[in-house]
Amino acid sequence: MKRTKAFTIPYVIWMALFVVAPILMILVYAFSGTEGGFTLANFSAMGTYTVVFIRSFRLAGIATVICLFIGYPVAYLLSREGQRFQRLATVLIMLPMWMNFLLRTYSWMAILENNGLINQFLGLFGLGPFKMIDTQGAVVLGMVYNYLPFMILPIYSVIIKLDHSLVEAAHDLGADNVVAFRRVIFPLSLPGVLSGITMVFVPSVSTFAISTMLGGGTEYLLGDLIEQQFLGGAYNPQLGAAIALVMMVVVVLCMWVMNRFGEGEEQAVVL
Amino acid sequence: MKKNSIFSRFFTFLVFLFLYAPIILLIFFSFNQNNSNVVWGGFSLHWYKELFQNRIIMRSLYTTLLVSLLATVISTIAGTFAAIGFYGLRRRTRNTLNTINNIPMMNADIVTGVAMCLFFVAFFALWKDFALWFNSIQGLVVLPTRLTLGFPTLLIAHITFNIPYVLLSVSPKLRQLDKNLIDAAQDLGCTWFQAFWKVILPEIKPGIVSGALTAFTMSIDDFIISYFTAGSASSTLAMTIYGMTKKRVSPEINAISTLLFVSVLLLLAIINIREARLEKQTARRQAAPSATVAEMARQKPRTVPPLVRFAAAGACGVLLVTAGVGAFHNTRKPVVNVCSWGEYIDEDLITQFEEETGILVNYQTAESNEALYSLLKSGAGDYDVIVPSDYMISQLMEEGMLEKLDYSQIPNFSLIDDRFKNLPYDPTNEYTVPYTWGTVGIIYNTAMVSEPITSWGAMFDDRYAGEVLMFRNSRDAMATALLYLGYDVNTTDEAQLRQAAGLIADAKSRGVYQAFVMDEIFLKMEGGNAAIGAYYAGDYLTAVENNPDLAFVIPEEGSNWFVDAMCVLKDAPHYDEAMAWINFIASTEANLANMDFIWYASPNKEALEGYPAYYEELYEEELDQETYEIMAAPAETLERCQSYISLPAETRRLYNELWITLGIQ
Repeated sequence: MKRTKAFTIPYVIWMALFVVAPILMILVYAFSGTEGGFTLANFSAMGTYTVVFIRSFRLAGIATVICLFIGYPVAYLLSREGQRFQRLATVLIMLPMWMNFLLRTYSWMAILENNGLINQFLGLFGLGPFKMIDTQGAVVLGMVYNYLPFMILPIYSVIIKLDHSLVEAAHDLGADNVVAFRRVIFPLSLPGVLSGITMVFVPSVSTFAISTMLGGGTEYLLGDLIEQQFLGGAYNPQLGAAIALVMMVVVVLCMWVMNRFGEGEEQAVVL
Repeated sequence: MKKNSIFSRFFTFLVFLFLYAPIILLIFFSFNQNNSNVVWGGFSLHWYKELFQNRIIMRSLYTTLLVSLLATVISTIAGTFAAIGFYGLRRRTRNTLNTINNIPMMNADIVTGVAMCLFFVAFFALWKDFALWFNSIQGLVVLPTRLTLGFPTLLIAHITFNIPYVLLSVSPKLRQLDKNLIDAAQDLGCTWFQAFWKVILPEIKPGIVSGALTAFTMSIDDFIISYFTAGSASSTLAMTIYGMTKKRVSPEINAISTLLFVSVLLLLAIINIREARLEKQTARRQAAPSATVAEMARQKPRTVPPLVRFAAAGACGVLLVTAGVGAFHNTRKPVVNVCSWGEYIDEDLITQFEEETGILVNYQTAESNEALYSLLKSGAGDYDVIVPSDYMISQLMEEGMLEKLDYSQIPNFSLIDDRFKNLPYDPTNEYTVPYTWGTVGIIYNTAMVSEPITSWGAMFDDRYAGEVLMFRNSRDAMATALLYLGYDVNTTDEAQLRQAAGLIADAKSRGVYQAFVMDEIFLKMEGGNAAIGAYYAGDYLTAVENNPDLAFVIPEEGSNWFVDAMCVLKDAPHYDEAMAWINFIASTEANLANMDFIWYASPNKEALEGYPAYYEELYEEELDQETYEIMAAPAETLERCQSYISLPAETRRLYNELWITLGIQ
């Protein structure tokens, strides 16, 4: 396979141009003032945003955990269904993303509103109305909704490849279902779980549309903060770049720590 | 293996219901008679008919499909080869490259988008210097000096964020591949390429297909990266929708999404049925005792993985649509690039202008004055004509970003009412032609408040806790507080501004605000979800059509009145076309059509005065005087209103600081 090395060259050049160079631009911006010149001023204000950092990571964390608790069983149950159903289901999980995500989130607004579908339905039984929209819960719901497929699919793709004789061996050796799951199936599906967590957590941390649409825009998340710098009232790309940089570093650290738990290479497969 | 229990099947069903609930709702409202996404007005196919006449949506659909398809094909091929290359590398090198490969996925979309935009703009600047130098030393080849963002940069961006997904899908399949297979193939006389084609490719095919599918999905769904890299001439469907959610999502968008969605579902169903039939045939053949093994082998249907077929069928469908829409698409015409606000023009006017002049209009929308400003500043928007509001116009003028207009090419300027000429933002009227004007006030639901609202105090009143909607932009939000406190809306006094921000922050902490909104206000007020919201008069008139309980008031403390005007950017590449467009829009007919469509008042004297008659003729009923006066506030109301002027940079920074603090709180 010696000669295949040459295949990397075009992509490495491509990455250098369109991935690394733009990130370097962000780096340069993060360390320069509005009038140019090197400065650390953009980072000195970071302390005031601690609340936002904590809020974002907390909500994204909750959303990721919920996704895992919903996504894992779905992936597991799916892998035990008939072949045809499995194929159909994997596509059906992906399909909602063909409808624009802003539209789907907009639709959620109509469902969760004070006078929305759920409350109208509950009203028929004399319940409510419950306040659902414009809460942190609604933001978490939006994250779970939008990124759940990214949890299900990688886990599914790992479980489906699992060697079933291992599970049978465990049963032969006296393990009941719970033990077999805990000691055999789950550890083996860990690569899928890890890539699922990454693919849910990262976009959740940096989202801004979900929090403005479902969270009422009253409490900023990191994405809102960054968006405000680039698109909001004051055009301050330098500060925006700095916040983005800090966020990236924290995210990469989290992922690094997490990947220590699962050994070996990350095995992210989407479908 | 045991089958799943009823209980666990029910769980899976619930998850699917969760995934599809909002989509079902969207599809439902695409058949709505009126233009609301919350209030059902009866069944109609009206929006599907409109859809095919909406050139903005059809054009962005074309761009979306084209860019997604090209990006998917290119990134699938490139990603597959890169994955094979990575596979042959040493582990350390591979891990490093993999980390870099993951950056676009690990990064916030907005950062990736802005970073790419900054990079492209920097590259264009370098290119300009190079091209000028190159053109000066030789005369054979003349290089273009001015490069702009456009379809190529959009495509590059999509390819860049797609490749990682392909790589991630293909790599594991390669790792499962038995290396000896390739060696064996080559030992048996295959060239490397034959080995690749006959051995590697069939093995990793599922990975490639799922990678391609993911890539296509990502391309279709992306909006923020496209927003920063598409430039002014092309916009994707997601960008069009983004522009609309800030104003009001047109139900045509629901219709087009439904069509896309249903066609994919149909494809899926067809594939599934065919497969079931094939499987049955195979089963029957295997059951037939007379068939020999050899016969069976011959007759065995070629099993192409269903995903492959699904993808192939999908690609064909998309190609067909692209070709179909592309037939209407002609780029070899003079063009003008316009950036306005979402749902801010009667789109028939664009068609009419194109037919009359042969000039193609690339019409984009920005989310707010501030977003427009950052698009211009970062170099992402190289428009010809923009329609900013008064205070933003003076800011752009101060920074030398506007070009003077050639009024000899705009004879319709004489139709503009003298009241709207020589306004403070353009005292000598050399740069602008007014587009619309209007007022800001309070919209309230008469069924939800005990007494009519008369004061800005309602925005800070505990009695309406949890029922009030505040502006989600600093300038308008601060103005409500400044007006209530009796200060000038253009004050630069720090103490006054801090007091105003404090008033809002205090009300927020007491739970007065249900939400900070821009155009979500339609959904919230029309659906009776909130009692009070500050917003623009024209939008109130749109909302009241769907909820007659709504009322509008310009509070006693006075308010803001604004003008949005058309301007041309410095060094606009299509100056003459821009003049033609401005002249066309300033005409009485265009103003009448616009007023009827968006309910914002026209600065054209004839159109403004003639609107009631126009309305009567069109709808065969008299225009309510009250409605007319809300749209076109009479002189005595305007006297109570102030217009915004551009604030000094220092005050703008203070605004931003106060606003961010409010959001962090």
